[in-house]
Amino acid sequence: MASHRSAVLTDQPYTDPNPLPSSVPHVDELGATSAPLKSASFFIGQYCKDVNEDFMLCKQENRDPAHCLKEGRKVTRCAAEVIGKLRENCLAEFDAHWQCLEKNNQYFQACRKPEKILNQCVFSKLNISKTIPGSPQGQPQIHEKKSPIFTRVQK
Amino acid sequence: MSHGFKQDMPPSGGYETIRYKRNLPLRGPSGAMIFGGVAAICAFGFWRLGAANVEKRELKREKAWSRIYLVPLILAEQDRDAYRRSQAALAREKEIMSDYPGWEVGKSSYNSSRYTPSTIVVL
Repeated sequence: MASHRSAVLTDQPYTDPNPLPSSVPHVDELGATSAPLKSASFFIGQYCKDVNEDFMLCKQENRDPAHCLKEGRKVTRCAAEVIGKLRENCLAEFDAHWQCLEKNNQYFQACRKPEKILNQCVFSKLNISKTIPGSPQGQPQIHEKKSPIFTRVQK
Repeated sequence: MSHGFKQDMPPSGGYETIRYKRNLPLRGPSGAMIFGGVAAICAFGFWRLGAANVEKRELKREKAWSRIYLVPLILAEQDRDAYRRSQAALAREKEIMSDYPGWEVGKSSYNSSRYTPSTIVVL
C-alpha cells in the first residue's frame, strides 16, 4: 500500500496535519499539563458535573467519536472555564499547589499545605469545595486530616 | 588465778552476724515487665499499621476520583482528534479509490452497526 508519508526522516512523531472538518465548531483545547489538571480535578468534577455526566452517558450510548462531539465541546469549555476562574481568582495558590505536585511525584499527600490554602481560596471565591465521593461518613476526609501518617515523608 | 594464759575471747561487742541470705545484684526489669513492654510496643505498632492501611485506602480513593473527574475531559479531546484523523483518512481513501466505481468509502468490514475502531493506524 502506498504511503502518503513523504520520505523525510524527522525526530518528531508524525501528526496528521489535516484540520477538523468545518462542520465541527472550533473549541480551544485545554492545553494544561497533568499537574495543573490534577490540582484542579476535584473542582472540575464538582463544577462540571452535569456536563461531564451528560458526556459519559452519551459515550455509553455509542463509543463512536463522532457521536458525542457536541457534548465533548461542552465538557472542554466547562473545564476551560474552571481553569480560567481558578487562575483569575486564586492564581498564586493554584500555581503553588500544582508546582508542589509537579515536584513531589504528583502525590496529593505531599502537598497538603498548599492544597489547604487553595481549597480555602476556591471555597471563598468560587464556592466549590473538594469532596471525595465514598469517603467514610462522620470523619474528616483524607485531605482534611489533622495529622496524617503519609505526608511527604512517611511518619 | 594466774597461770600465764589468756583465754581467747570473742571481740568486745561480739562477732558480726553471719550473712547467710542470698545477696544477688539487681538483674533488671522483671519478666512480666519485659513481656508487658513488648506487648505494648506490638499493640502500638499494629494500631499504627491499621491506621496507615485505612489512610492508604483513602489516598487511593482520592487519586482514583481525581482521575475519574478528568476522564470526560481527556476523552472529549481524544475523540475530537480521532474524529479529525478518521475524516482525513476517509478523504484520503476517497481520493485514492476514485478510479474504482462501486467502492464504498469507509465501509466497515463488520456486519454490525456497533462502532468498531479502525484497525489501520496512520502513524
